[in-house]
Amino acid sequence: MTLNSVVETDFPKEFVEEMQKTEDVLPEKIDANPENVEKGLAKLVLTLIELIRKLLEKQAMRRVEADSLSEEEIERVGETLMKLENKMKELKQIFGLKDEELNLNLGPLGDLM
Amino acid sequence: MHNVAVKSKEVTLLEILDRILNKGVVVSGDIVISVADVDLIYLGLKVLLSSVETMEQLRGAPIVGPMQEPT
Amino acid sequence: MRLYTYGIIDSSNQVNEPIYGLEGACVYNIPYCDIGAVVSELKEPVQNVTRSSVLAHEEVIERLMEYFTVLPVKFHTVFDGRDGVLSMMQSYYKDFKNNLDRLRNKVEFGIKVIWPADKVKKRIMNSQKKNEREMPVPAGSSNKKFIRKKFEEYKTNKEFEEKANKFINVMDIFFSKFAAEKKLKKLKTENLLLDAVYLVEKDKQDDFKEAFEHIKGPHTSFKFLFSGPWPAYNFVILPKNSDLLKDSKQEDLFDKVVQHQELVGADKI
Repeated sequence: MTLNSVVETDFPKEFVEEMQKTEDVLPEKIDANPENVEKGLAKLVLTLIELIRKLLEKQAMRRVEADSLSEEEIERVGETLMKLENKMKELKQIFGLKDEELNLNLGPLGDLM
Repeated sequence: MHNVAVKSKEVTLLEILDRILNKGVVVSGDIVISVADVDLIYLGLKVLLSSVETMEQLRGAPIVGPMQEPT
Repeated sequence: MRLYTYGIIDSSNQVNEPIYGLEGACVYNIPYCDIGAVVSELKEPVQNVTRSSVLAHEEVIERLMEYFTVLPVKFHTVFDGRDGVLSMMQSYYKDFKNNLDRLRNKVEFGIKVIWPADKVKKRIMNSQKKNEREMPVPAGSSNKKFIRKKFEEYKTNKEFEEKANKFINVMDIFFSKFAAEKKLKKLKTENLLLDAVYLVEKDKQDDFKEAFEHIKGPHTSFKFLFSGPWPAYNFVILPKNSDLLKDSKQEDLFDKVVQHQELVGADKI
């Protein structure tokens, strides 16, 4: 069996490693097993919460960068973000979900986060 | 030398898989019996690289999702 | 009769020489108007994703590429008889024709680049630490410390992305010179700086390869992968409707929400 297409690299192992990290060759099946349904729902909800949390964090960072927060505001935002982060860690643990699992593929738009 | 040859096969296979499993012309509908309707056994790259012998052994192993025979 | 479909070609003629596909079956062209679908008959209902089936599929397409313009079809697209194939051809004739015309005499090349993400980040953090030493900031509460830590991460990531974009742009300018179309994925993982495909005219292949070697040279700490020539897998454009999808993973957020709602009966609440 001979193919015309060539794959040239001096570092095949490294590329295999990186490509396997993003390996999503087959579409994910929606499994209607009851435990998985609950987990699937939790995953969806937590993904959305995580999105909002990250957006809030980013927004806060932009304001810190622009120096547009007062000392008091920095205190409050810090406390809120810290609580949010800890809460999310807790929820992820409860549902046995990893960071990489909380993402959605939007096709041509790439991943949600 | 052998290691490089084996690893190169992995990378080539990954490049091909990425293209033929995800890209190109994708059509669906009643007349098509394709990936959407039939669960293909894809056990990941590690398994794809095993010898034919190992594949035969694995055929008895648990399947990812139910297999449907098209009627 | 199960017809495994490999690709759509810009010809209604038969295949010149024997090409063997899955199950060792001979492939043949089912013509429709001035194009055709290249198929082979299957005995087994399901072809698993094995090395041999994958390579057999790819080889058919590459052999076809030697004689025709090919729109490669997704693995395991099987039709129920000749009528099934013809029905599909009728539905998508215009789209297939447009793609064939656009992709004629063009091939796809893939370029992937790995960069030392850890080293880049370390360097950024070191230069940021240096700046801070010159401008010390009082410690403060745990809330403030949290913000400070987050902000440092934010700055590091921002600069990291900016550096990535700089490198990618430099490389892309070179490659684009000989490319008709391109698709770039930046920082697919931290280390995978670039995952790109370029559509190149057949007679510009050598120039393109040369441009690649030229870029590769100075970037000694980067790792490169060059693949091709492929048929234009990544450049087939089909209209987005319920049946036609360019990328099989395309599922929008709304669909996923609806699916989950249905599964948990949430839609009945």
